[in-house]
Amino acid sequence: MKEREEARPRWREDFPIAWEQDHYVTRRELAKFLTLGSALLAGASALIALAGRLWKPRPRRRVRIASASAVPPGGSLLFRYPTDEDPCILVRSPDGSFEAYSQVCTHLSCAVVYRPEDRTLACPCHKGVFTCSEGRPIAGPPTRRLPRIVLDVRGDDLFATGVEL
Amino acid sequence: METRKQGTTLFTAIAVLIGMLVVMQLWLVAAALEAFLSGNRGVLVPAAVASFLVLAVNAGLLLYIVRFDERIRRLEEPPVD
Repeated sequence: MKEREEARPRWREDFPIAWEQDHYVTRRELAKFLTLGSALLAGASALIALAGRLWKPRPRRRVRIASASAVPPGGSLLFRYPTDEDPCILVRSPDGSFEAYSQVCTHLSCAVVYRPEDRTLACPCHKGVFTCSEGRPIAGPPTRRLPRIVLDVRGDDLFATGVEL
Repeated sequence: METRKQGTTLFTAIAVLIGMLVVMQLWLVAAALEAFLSGNRGVLVPAAVASFLVLAVNAGLLLYIVRFDERIRRLEEPPVD
């Protein structure tokens, strides 16, 4: 009994909490805290899903871009849609069909330019390349496609009517 | 005290597991937010359902910890005369 008392240092009387007990309580509380965080994250996911159900995008206005004859096959034209702050690019393929995309690269927002030699939209900042047919990234750092501008051709007039993200 | 020592090990393992699941939920929220902002609404509900499933697993693990703790407390209580 005396040996046991000698083995127990005096500072134990001032600090009676054992590491073992302390670790036990700390880990239990950590698990509780993490589960609370998990509940908050599940709530955030539910809110995002609810917002996706309730929020309806506003209908876009219809804006005349140019006359179709102003853009030769294989050529391109810059315009702004839906606001003056949103640069876009209109491309006419050699077969005469039109495609239009946002000119803002989905990587770091540089302006993409049309490359007629391989019919792609290229971002000069980080060598990102998008297809002209779908706006899909095929090279470089971008992972998301370019927003497509919905076009309406009425006679010789080209109109932008919406944006597909 | 031996049981409490075992509890510490068990709680560490469970806390690590819950932590990993919370990181997965964080990724789910980030992916859902990006899908929402890019107009891809189809994945939002499945992401929320997956997040709630992970929450259910975490809650189950926490319940296990609470019950384990209660059992240890009962074992450690001094006998009543």
